[in-house]
Amino acid sequence: MNFSHFIFRRTLMVIPLLVGVVFLTFMLVRVGGLDPVGLLAGPTATAEEFKMIREELGLDQPLWKQFVIYAQNVIRGDLGESWLSNRPVLDDIMARSLISLELLFWGIGIGTLIGVPMGLRAAFRPNGRFDQTTRILSLLGFSIPTYWLGLVMLFVFFYLLRWAPPGMGRISLMISPPDFITGSYLIDSLLTADWRAAHSALAHLILPVICLAIVSAAPIIKQTRAIALEVIASDSVRYARACGLQTRTVRSIVFKNSATPIITFVGTEITGLVGTMSLIEYVFAWGGLGQYGLNAIVRGDFTAVQGYVLTLALFSVLVFLVVDIIIAIIEPRVDLS
Amino acid sequence: MNLLSVQDLQTHFIFRDIDHQLREAKALNKVNLTLNSGQVLGIVGETGAGKSLTAQSICGLLRPPAKIVGGSVTFQGRELLTLSEDEINTIRGAEIAMVVQNPRSSLDPLTQIGAQLVRLHQTHTGGPLAGSRKKALDMMQAVGIPDPEGRFTAWPHELSGGMAQRVLIAMALINEPKLLIADEPTTGLDVTVQAQILDLLNELVARFDMGCMIITHDLGIVAHYCDQVAVMFAGEIVEQGPTREVFLTPAHPYTQQLLAATPERLQLGVKSQLGGQPPDLFNLPTGCLSQDRCTLATEKCGAPPPLIEISKGHLARCHFVKPAEKGRSKSNE
Ligand SMILES: Nc1ncnc2c1ncn2[C@@H]1O[C@H](COP(=O)(O)OP(=O)(O)OP(=O)(O)O)[C@@H](O)[C@H]1O
Ligand SMILES: [Mg+2]
Repeated sequence: MNFSHFIFRRTLMVIPLLVGVVFLTFMLVRVGGLDPVGLLAGPTATAEEFKMIREELGLDQPLWKQFVIYAQNVIRGDLGESWLSNRPVLDDIMARSLISLELLFWGIGIGTLIGVPMGLRAAFRPNGRFDQTTRILSLLGFSIPTYWLGLVMLFVFFYLLRWAPPGMGRISLMISPPDFITGSYLIDSLLTADWRAAHSALAHLILPVICLAIVSAAPIIKQTRAIALEVIASDSVRYARACGLQTRTVRSIVFKNSATPIITFVGTEITGLVGTMSLIEYVFAWGGLGQYGLNAIVRGDFTAVQGYVLTLALFSVLVFLVVDIIIAIIEPRVDLS
Repeated sequence: MNLLSVQDLQTHFIFRDIDHQLREAKALNKVNLTLNSGQVLGIVGETGAGKSLTAQSICGLLRPPAKIVGGSVTFQGRELLTLSEDEINTIRGAEIAMVVQNPRSSLDPLTQIGAQLVRLHQTHTGGPLAGSRKKALDMMQAVGIPDPEGRFTAWPHELSGGMAQRVLIAMALINEPKLLIADEPTTGLDVTVQAQILDLLNELVARFDMGCMIITHDLGIVAHYCDQVAVMFAGEIVEQGPTREVFLTPAHPYTQQLLAATPERLQLGVKSQLGGQPPDLFNLPTGCLSQDRCTLATEKCGAPPPLIEISKGHLARCHFVKPAEKGRSKSNE
C-alpha cells in the first residue's frame, strides 16, 4: 500500500519538472539563434512579406504571450507543423521515437550486459591482467568518435567483407516491412512470422547496435569498476570478509550494494546518449528521432527542433522516474513516505 | 599451549609512489602477543600505533598494499599466516570472530539482520535452516536484543548504534568462536550503552570460555575489564603483562608516560610527558623506536632493545628494564 502511494507521489513530482521543461524548450529555441522568418521567406522576400510571416507565426506578440500559446498547444498535444515535412511534428515524432527506441534499447541493453560484469570483474582484481586489458579497451571506447566508428564498421563489414547490409535504413529495400504492431521491424516481423523480413531487420540492426553498445559500454565499465571498488572498500564488505563468508557470497554482497549507483548511472547514460544516437542514426540512415532532430537543427526547422527537445526532455524525466522506482524496489533504505 | 600466540609479526605497506620509487611504511614491527582461553587482553596505544592493523593481520584481512613480511601467528597451535584464503575463511567468523567499530555501517545494508545471522551460521556450522534460525533467535536473546522475533526482519538502518553493536556481538558469537577480537567495540556509543555492551562481552567471554582481545583507547576499560594488557607504540608491543601489574608497576618508559597522561592525573596537575611525533614509518630509527620521545634514552638505545621478561607473563622491550628477582612478583592469574 505504501509502495503504490510512493509511485503515485513520485509521478506527481514530475509535473513541475515538465512545466520547467516546456519553458526551457520554448526559451531555448527563442534564444538559440534560429531565424524561422528568414528561412521561410527566402532570400528574395520583401520587408512587407517578412512582416506578414512574422504576424502569421505570432512572432510579433510579446514573449510571455507566445509562451502561453505554446504551453496551451503543448498540453493539447499540438506541437505545430514541421515546415520541412508539412506534417504535424507530433506525428513525425511518434513515428520516429519507436524507431530510435529500438536501437537505444538493444544498444544500451547490450552495452550494460557487457559493461557491468566487466567492470565488476575488473574491480574484483584491481590491476590484474583482466583489469588492465579492460582499461585499455574502455579507453579506446571513450576516445573513438562515434561517427568514425560507424563509418569504419560499414567500410569493413559491408564494403570489404560483405557481411553486413549497406547502412541504408532498417530493412532491405527489396523487402516490404512487416505490419505495424510495436514499431520494431524485428519484433513485428517475428510476430507476423515473416522470417525474411526478420532476417533483414536483424542484419540491419547489428552494426548500429554494436556501435552504440561499444560507445555506451566504455563509461559503464569504468563507472561500475569505480563503484564496485568503493563498495569493496566499504565497512560492510570488509566486515563480510571478516565473517569468513565465502568469496561467492562476498561478491554477491558487492554486486547488490553496487546496484543502486550503477542503475542510476545507466539511467544518466541513457539520457546522455541521445546526441550519440543522432550521429549513429545519421551514419546508418536509420531514420529515427535522432536523425530527425539533427536534420531539423541543421535546417532550422524550429517547430521540429522544439518538439525534438521536448521529447528528449520528457524521455529523460521518464527514465529518471523509472530509475527511482526501480531503486525504491531494491533498496530497503529508501524512505517511502 | 596458548590460544593465540603472535611472534615478531611485521606488516608493511609496500607500494610505488608517483615517481615509481618503491616505498615501504613499516607499520607493524615485532608484534608479540599471547592470549589464553578465558582471558581478556586489552590492547592500548595512541592512534596510528597499529592496533587495528594487528587485528587485521591476525585474521588475514589485509589488502594490498599492506603485506605481512615476517613473523608468525599461531592459533590453537596452527600457523595462520600460511593458510590460503579459503582455509582462513573457515576460521574467520567461526573460530575467530571480530566485533568492529562501526556496527551500523558494517552490517550488510541490503539484508535483514536475522538473515545475516542465519547466513553466517549456515556458512560455518551448517545444518538445517530451522536450526540456524533458532540459533540466531537464541543469540539475539543472549545479547539482550528485546523482541528477537520482531527484530529478526529489521533492516540494519533501523537499528540504533547500541542495538547494532549487540547484533554484531550476536554475529560474532553465533558460531561459538574460541577467540573474539573487538576493535574499539564501544567507540561512538554513549557511556551507559558502552558499559552495557562491555559488561555483556565480559559475561559472554566467561560463559563461553573464549579468549578475548579488546582494542581500545580507554585505560579505564582496560583496568575494569582486562586481565592482560599490551601497550603498543609505533607498531611494536612495548609491554605486555597482567593488567594490575602493568598499571601498578609499569616497566617501559612509554607505558609510564601513557599511564601518567590519564585525564584524572592531568587534572591533578601532573605534567604529561606524552607528546612529540611518533616515528616516521617510512624511515624508522635503528634501535628503540621510542628513543626520540624517551627521557631515559642514551646511546645504548641505538641498538634494538631486547624483550625482557620482568616476571612471569610480564614482558617489556627496553634496555633499562631489569628482570625482577625470582619469586618476588606474582602474576594474578
Ligand atoms: N595505505 C597505507 N599506507 C601507508 N601507511 C598506512 C596505510 N594505511 C594505514 N597506514 C598506517 O598504518 C598504521 C597503523 O594503523 P592502524 O589503523 O592499525 O592504527 P590504530 O592503532 O588502529 O589507530 P586508531 O587508534 O586510530 O584506530 C598507521 O600509522 C597508519 O598511518
Ligand atoms: Mg584502529
